[in-house]
Amino acid sequence: MEFNIEDYKDVDRLPITTGLEDELCAIMYTDEYKEVMGIARSLFQSKEFSNRAKRLTSKVIQLAPAYYTIWNYRYEIIESEIKKMSEPDSTNFLNKELSWLDEITLNNPKNYQIWSYRQAIIKLHPNPDLKLEFPIISMMIDDDTKNYHVWSYRKWCILYFQDFSNELTFCDNFIQRDVYNNSAWTHRMFVWKNLNPSKVQIMDELNYLKEKIELVPQNISVWTYLRGLYENFLNDQYDQEIINFAETFINGLFDNTTTLPKIESTYALEFLADIYSRNPETLQNSITAYNALSIKYDPVRINFWNHKLKKLTPCA
Amino acid sequence: MFPTKILEKHVKFVTRHLNLLPSTHQNQDVNRMAIIFYAIETLSSLDPSSIITYKKKNTIHWIRSHYLKNENISGFIGSKTMAINGVTTITLPNTLFALLTLLILDDKEFFTNVLDCKSVCRFVSKCQDAKDGSFVSVLRLYSNNEPSPVDSNDLRFCYIAVAILYLCGCKERNQFNEYIDVEKMLRYIKEQQCDMGGYGTYGEPHAGYTSCALSALYLLDRIDEEELSDDFKEKSITWLLHRQIFNQGSMSYMNENNPSYDECDHGGFQGRENKFGDTCYVFWCLNSLKILEPIHWKDLCDTSLAKKYLLERTQNTIIGGFSKNDEDDPDLYHTCLGIAALKLIDGSFDGVLCIPSSISSELTSINRQ
Repeated sequence: MEFNIEDYKDVDRLPITTGLEDELCAIMYTDEYKEVMGIARSLFQSKEFSNRAKRLTSKVIQLAPAYYTIWNYRYEIIESEIKKMSEPDSTNFLNKELSWLDEITLNNPKNYQIWSYRQAIIKLHPNPDLKLEFPIISMMIDDDTKNYHVWSYRKWCILYFQDFSNELTFCDNFIQRDVYNNSAWTHRMFVWKNLNPSKVQIMDELNYLKEKIELVPQNISVWTYLRGLYENFLNDQYDQEIINFAETFINGLFDNTTTLPKIESTYALEFLADIYSRNPETLQNSITAYNALSIKYDPVRINFWNHKLKKLTPCA
Repeated sequence: MFPTKILEKHVKFVTRHLNLLPSTHQNQDVNRMAIIFYAIETLSSLDPSSIITYKKKNTIHWIRSHYLKNENISGFIGSKTMAINGVTTITLPNTLFALLTLLILDDKEFFTNVLDCKSVCRFVSKCQDAKDGSFVSVLRLYSNNEPSPVDSNDLRFCYIAVAILYLCGCKERNQFNEYIDVEKMLRYIKEQQCDMGGYGTYGEPHAGYTSCALSALYLLDRIDEEELSDDFKEKSITWLLHRQIFNQGSMSYMNENNPSYDECDHGGFQGRENKFGDTCYVFWCLNSLKILEPIHWKDLCDTSLAKKYLLERTQNTIIGGFSKNDEDDPDLYHTCLGIAALKLIDGSFDGVLCIPSSISSELTSINRQ
């Protein structure tokens, strides 16, 4: 049923105050806004939990999606309805609520209250279904591939349902689309951290990652991800193989420190500088790398590289 | 900080937001206290004489009328539209915005005679999630005792909760502990630490959340080894410094490929890896850096280029104000944070409370009374 003002004829309006003297940022409310808010405020006060009250919340959300009280009120209505229902009515009822929310979401992509409301509905739901969450998440991320709130909501869902089975493919799609998508990479790390992967899986993942690094070596997200894999699953111990791999992007710099060659990735060099700093035998390489970054490859950050150098030799 | 002509334009741009707004602003009705804070704070940063007109009794009285109190708790609503008898509609953000606004307007009498600090602190207390120690911004509609089940809980509200307690006089650890479970909140904040440094939800660091987390720790006087290990601190500094965008050096290597890199963002800051520069992240990143490296922060990054980015790329010299980037129209939020960043660089801004230093130094005298 659609919102119809006629349904609220009997409601004593609780009008909003307007036109006060010395009011700051007074808004020229439309008549519709004043009318709808007058009804809403009255219903809040009388705690009316009814169908028409629910229809009214839809209308208010359409006018002012950031109105937090209305989301709280709608939840109270939904919760009281659910208490009166048994299965499968409550499932159908809440699925309808989620579909309604999909509509609102598509019309208000930047409103973040939507996602916490959605979480509350899922928690209330007797039979929530992760598969039903995927379409709206995909649509929203498709539209804005680094939308922080939506990626966060997806992670919340995955944890809530404890189903990680779709995630690697999901991330891969977005990484294929844009290998620089940091949200996709951090989501992927989040998945592994929750999966307790075997050594074989991590080695496969390393190969997957190396391909992406080779594709675009100058990408901070992939080098951070590489460190994440080692820190979280390989005891932070970097083997010669990965060091050799990283060195393929710096064009033999350590053999050619006088002329400093053109390199493919400063992030590879920064990675090596850090790894080499951990061992006294390779410390000189680390100093060379930081110096090269500060002089040639990234001089705009010279103070930062000098800060790194100072950390290496605290007595100097 | 600005040539007179430009200063006048900024003042005009900001002042417009305090005047009668067209109905297109209706959807912001519930956030009017935020608009008022952004505008008054920015005006006081630009030119203290520009807020004299708002210091008059009637305006102060009108702002004060957003302070709602029942027998147990109190706080501010964002707009009169939210004032409904018997329904709890006060919120943490509006409470912080209103307290800071009244502080800027030098309404000492409010703090000494009207504000019931204990009941505000009790409101803050009730917004804490008993399980994980985080905060939501509102309570359940018909109960004064439970956090709202539909609100989000994140680092923003942790920061706001701590800042309100601080403004209400909490300074020592035991004073905070009287109202909130500090240890539980610290655990929550720590859980938001990310592998590569910075803070964020589920492992993706975000400069805004990082600033909130560090500001909260700062107000709690917990920028220490226990809450920030040397390793994590160093990683966070590294992470923050990599957020400054340059058209030379490392970032220029990806000129052609990265769809979210624009060499014209030179000197600006991004909020996350591989994102465009944005005015507000200059503030969030610099404020975070300053907390981590209070003495050397300006030597570590390039503040003169950051300034140049703000003044030449996102400042609007025709109608005043700052925009998010060079494409959007200027807006109040980015104007507020752009100017805040410039003042932070100049050394005349309290980034933790987001007010001019001259105002935050007044706090001590208020809290002593």
